[in-house]
Amino acid sequence: MIGLVRAELLKLSTTRLWWIMLLVTLLLIGVNLAFFIGFAGNAQGGLPALDTPEWAQLAWSSGASGRIFVMILGVVMLTSEYRYQTITGTFLTTPRRGRVITAKLIAGLIVGVLFALAVLLFTALVVIPTVLIAGGELSLTEAHVPAIALGTVASLALYTILGIAVGALVRNQIAGIVGAVAWAYVIESLFLAIPALQVVGKWFPGGAAQSLMSIDVNPGMGSSDLLPAWGGAAVLVGYAVVFAVVANATTVRRDIT
Amino acid sequence: MTAIEIRNLSKSFGAVRAVDGVSFTVKAGTVTGYLGPNGAGKTTTLRSLLGLVTPDSGEALVNGKRYRDMATPLNEVGAVLEATNFHPGRTARNHLRLLCVAAGLPVSRADEALGQVGLADAAGKRVGGFSLGMRQRLALASALLGEPKVYILDEPANGLDPAGIQWLRGFLRHLAHDRGAAVLVSSHVLSEVEQTVDDIVIIAGGRLVRQGTLAELTTNGEKTVRLRTVGDGELTPALEKAGAKVDRLDDDALRVHGLEPEEIGRIVLDQRVVLTEMIAERSDLQKVFLELTEER
Repeated sequence: MIGLVRAELLKLSTTRLWWIMLLVTLLLIGVNLAFFIGFAGNAQGGLPALDTPEWAQLAWSSGASGRIFVMILGVVMLTSEYRYQTITGTFLTTPRRGRVITAKLIAGLIVGVLFALAVLLFTALVVIPTVLIAGGELSLTEAHVPAIALGTVASLALYTILGIAVGALVRNQIAGIVGAVAWAYVIESLFLAIPALQVVGKWFPGGAAQSLMSIDVNPGMGSSDLLPAWGGAAVLVGYAVVFAVVANATTVRRDIT
Repeated sequence: MTAIEIRNLSKSFGAVRAVDGVSFTVKAGTVTGYLGPNGAGKTTTLRSLLGLVTPDSGEALVNGKRYRDMATPLNEVGAVLEATNFHPGRTARNHLRLLCVAAGLPVSRADEALGQVGLADAAGKRVGGFSLGMRQRLALASALLGEPKVYILDEPANGLDPAGIQWLRGFLRHLAHDRGAAVLVSSHVLSEVEQTVDDIVIIAGGRLVRQGTLAELTTNGEKTVRLRTVGDGELTPALEKAGAKVDRLDDDALRVHGLEPEEIGRIVLDQRVVLTEMIAERSDLQKVFLELTEER
């Protein structure tokens, strides 16, 4: 199994997609942070001032927006095998397909964690100097920073394997990516932004991921109704398990023609 | 020794019966051609053998085992399917290396296999820039990684230039005759494999139509011998007296039907005719192939 996981990681590292995705992720987070810095303390924007713990909390949690990209990466980890028909060679090498799917999911977890660490490092490089320059107090143990960091790691890791599972279900790369983006940017953000819909939205992966970070700043939309952090974690793990089982079940018997 | 055994294999895709009760075997140390027109069911048979397609009924075994039950399949079977099974952004060496890692083989096998197929110089190049012929060679390299004793190749000559086809023929014969491997190679073009194979299995419309050695299949047709002489005197009446049918091709050339080459040789000797050329013509295998596959 270790060899299979290594092979899956090699599949990523020997093609260019992973660093393009990492670059795009960091770029998006950079834009988010720039927005948070630029409009900090702005009364109309509803953003807290740079030197407040609330601002730090908001800034630290921006890394979680990278989850859409790791989800796309996960989708591509599976669908590119069908797109380029490398799945044939993969299953010829490992005819027990369940082992291939398991190896991909483990590799996905590893990649998600590595992405989260990169994202957190990048956030730290921006947030720490900003807070210090603004004369705020730097604290990595308060303002939910540990919870946010842990939440970022967990949600990026789980979104990567959600992506793999979605990829296994649809197998078509375009459909998988479009589906993932539409889900994360349209459906989930709708259900999370509108308070009346949050009753449902908090059970979605995005809602669960947000509750995992236990942030209660929700600019402009009033306080949010989310699950407790442990509940969010349980829901995400539940999604991952269900998707993995379905991915496995649909892949194992299907003919490769 | 039987290396590949297909027993009563059937597989339908929707309403289409792609393979219908096909049985045949491939012996170690031989090259077997699996022939049939496009859509005859060749690929489905081979993919069933490789565990990629689940047959509706029957069995497809390599070394007495189902492919899906093999712990280290790359050490037992080398497979070459279509030449499109590569990520265009990955280099040839990396493509092979990650197969080695997944199969638990030393990564050094990647470069060795590339050398064997003559791709050593292109090892570090991205597969996206490869010609079809180079992709076929790379596919063959991936089949060689585990140094197996059974090879299954689906239309491996597709996209190869004449020199490449020549090289492939020699390579397949070398695997079978020098290394004792069993080689099953499919093709829809008879002439591609005619000079390579020992045995032939012909399939059409999902059903087996003929199976035998190359010699068996070619002797089914009419035997003819072409003669070229320096003035043929009384040769034609003598041949006809012995029961042959003689066609005159030009002033110096005859085609003789219905006699063994030895009988003809003796008559030529009796008639004291100077012979400059004598060719035993095989029946046109291509014609046999067309007849066998067209009636379906």
